[in-house]
Amino acid sequence: MVTTNDDAGAPDDIIICRDVNKWFGEFHVLTGVTTSVKRGEKVVVLGPSGSGKSTFIRVINRLEEHQTGDIIVDGVPMTNDVRNIDAIRREVGMVFQQFNLFPHLTVRQNITLGPMKVRKWPRNQADEIADELLERVGIPEQSEKYPAELSGGQQQRVAIARALAMQPKIMLFDEPTSALDPEMIKEVLDVMRELATSGMTMIVVTHEVGFAREVADRMIMFDGGRIIEEAPPVDFFISPQQERTKLFLSQILA
Amino acid sequence: MSTNVSAEQRIALPPPRLERGVLGWLHANLFSSKFNSGLTVIGGALVILVLWFGLKWIFFDADWEVITVLGGKLAIGPYNTDAACPGNDCVWRPQAGLLLVTILMGMGWGMAGGGLAKRLALATAIIAAAFAMLPYSLDKMGWDVRLMLAANLPAVGLGWLIPKYTPLRTTRWMAVTGVVVFVAVILLLRGIEGVPGLKPVSVIYWGGMMLNLLLAVGGIAVSLPIGIALALGRRSNLPVVKLLCIVFIEVFRGMPLITLLFMSQVLVPLAFPENFPLNSLMRAAIVITLFSSAYMAENVRGGLQSLHPGQAEGARALGLASWQATLFISLPQAIRNVIPAIVGQFIALFKDTSLVYIIGMLDIVEFGRAFIQGNPEYLPDAKELFVFLALVFWIFCYTMSYVSRRIEHNMGVGRR
Repeated sequence: MVTTNDDAGAPDDIIICRDVNKWFGEFHVLTGVTTSVKRGEKVVVLGPSGSGKSTFIRVINRLEEHQTGDIIVDGVPMTNDVRNIDAIRREVGMVFQQFNLFPHLTVRQNITLGPMKVRKWPRNQADEIADELLERVGIPEQSEKYPAELSGGQQQRVAIARALAMQPKIMLFDEPTSALDPEMIKEVLDVMRELATSGMTMIVVTHEVGFAREVADRMIMFDGGRIIEEAPPVDFFISPQQERTKLFLSQILA
Repeated sequence: MSTNVSAEQRIALPPPRLERGVLGWLHANLFSSKFNSGLTVIGGALVILVLWFGLKWIFFDADWEVITVLGGKLAIGPYNTDAACPGNDCVWRPQAGLLLVTILMGMGWGMAGGGLAKRLALATAIIAAAFAMLPYSLDKMGWDVRLMLAANLPAVGLGWLIPKYTPLRTTRWMAVTGVVVFVAVILLLRGIEGVPGLKPVSVIYWGGMMLNLLLAVGGIAVSLPIGIALALGRRSNLPVVKLLCIVFIEVFRGMPLITLLFMSQVLVPLAFPENFPLNSLMRAAIVITLFSSAYMAENVRGGLQSLHPGQAEGARALGLASWQATLFISLPQAIRNVIPAIVGQFIALFKDTSLVYIIGMLDIVEFGRAFIQGNPEYLPDAKELFVFLALVFWIFCYTMSYVSRRIEHNMGVGRR
């Protein structure tokens, strides 16, 4: 019999976290986080601020370093080896709350930078994919503008296109709509819905309950650095098991 | 209903009379309050007084003869004197150097296709050529000297054509050509042993504006990259690199430039007594460059610190290596944010080149001062000479300031 140490994962798991711990100084921000995400699965992460939900998705592409435990992304273990980190980052796209577009580059340059410098594509191939992605996120006419000339919703859609240009297998969203005006939230969520139907593996930290109900395969509830509840959205929203989850839902749904 | 407004009533009313036209402008900008009206009157009186006495002095009282007597020597110093160049036939060498620079600027114009590069190239060529037209009584130049000055006009045209018909049209080739031109100018001025017409001229005779410009251009071109490297080093995670950069920056910022220049001439020969390969000009250039790069490092570091951490995170999340994130994301934004400080440092460096007088080099200021000291009949004209020198420096410094403002504008600084 082949022994395997994959006690937390099945063969089609693209992300595996086993007993992941992280401290910021004395503060234990992730406490024994164990979970896995299947290929094509959409996971929405909920939790109060400071609960570790952002840190959780930031350790998956090593924007934060975890101290103990294992993280395996697409079969590559997250270690201090730069080659592993680079390999994982190539496969994991990330969208930030504050967009983090590069203000000195045009929309097109923002999107083509990764493919040209990391994937070493020629310019015309990168330009082609940029045009295709801008079409897909609904702003094909903005390619020569600078980020500051766009609305917040448009900037976030460029940020999604920029992440997709690397053709990642996984997309991480860190509160992608929290910095947007209400009428711009929908245009970003629409793009994310379309992305979900295309089969992308997604982990989304958000407070948009409607989006979560509609798109998520699974909800993860964080509190105090731990996963306190994991369930499909139907069960999660209708019959949460934990008192903390009930309280939190009653507050954000109020 | 009273809240309903008819279409006629909604026609915009003209603004009140005092907000429009010349009167409106005067009212808003000069006489908006009693206090401001008082300031306007006092300020206006001061301007009129300064203009009255200033213009009267410039046009009636001042004796500008000393400028014409010095003439081209202000540009090249003692370079073409008997001691430097027996036979006094070396004046074509700095002129040929100027022609090379003009060609280079023409190339910049041809490559950029207009705008700032065009204005700079044309201004250089036209001003240089204009000196050829000076009446004989003002500057006793020979025809050969005048012809080489006038040649700056065709030179800028030649430079403009080069990017059109040769592969020298990318930024990279321009940078390479710039370095080649700088080295060629140095070789021209220095001379090559054994080559007829290029007999060596010792660097101690290089002087005038030529010396200031050589030190400034070399210093600017080298101190920016060194400064960037020091700034990155000071933010490095490697403790040894970081410590070395901090020590370097604090040592060079903590000493006056004059002291450093003096030490370079006195202490370095003591430490390396025999056949030390660097001449005095080279040592001065190195000291000025290192001094300036220490300040440059802190400017660039300030720019790096002004960046939002999300920029580096965005780059890392895309999978860029850390050197790529620095080169393509952090540095361009950091430098853009501190262009005013960097250009301020360039201007300071240019003005500081005059300090080489402390080690006996005859830059434009020292050359003029030494001339008056050696010719006491011109002592009453010292103020005219120094006003003129101030104007010359101002023109160069203002040009740098103008270029930086245009670059900031073109980069959209403050807008995106």
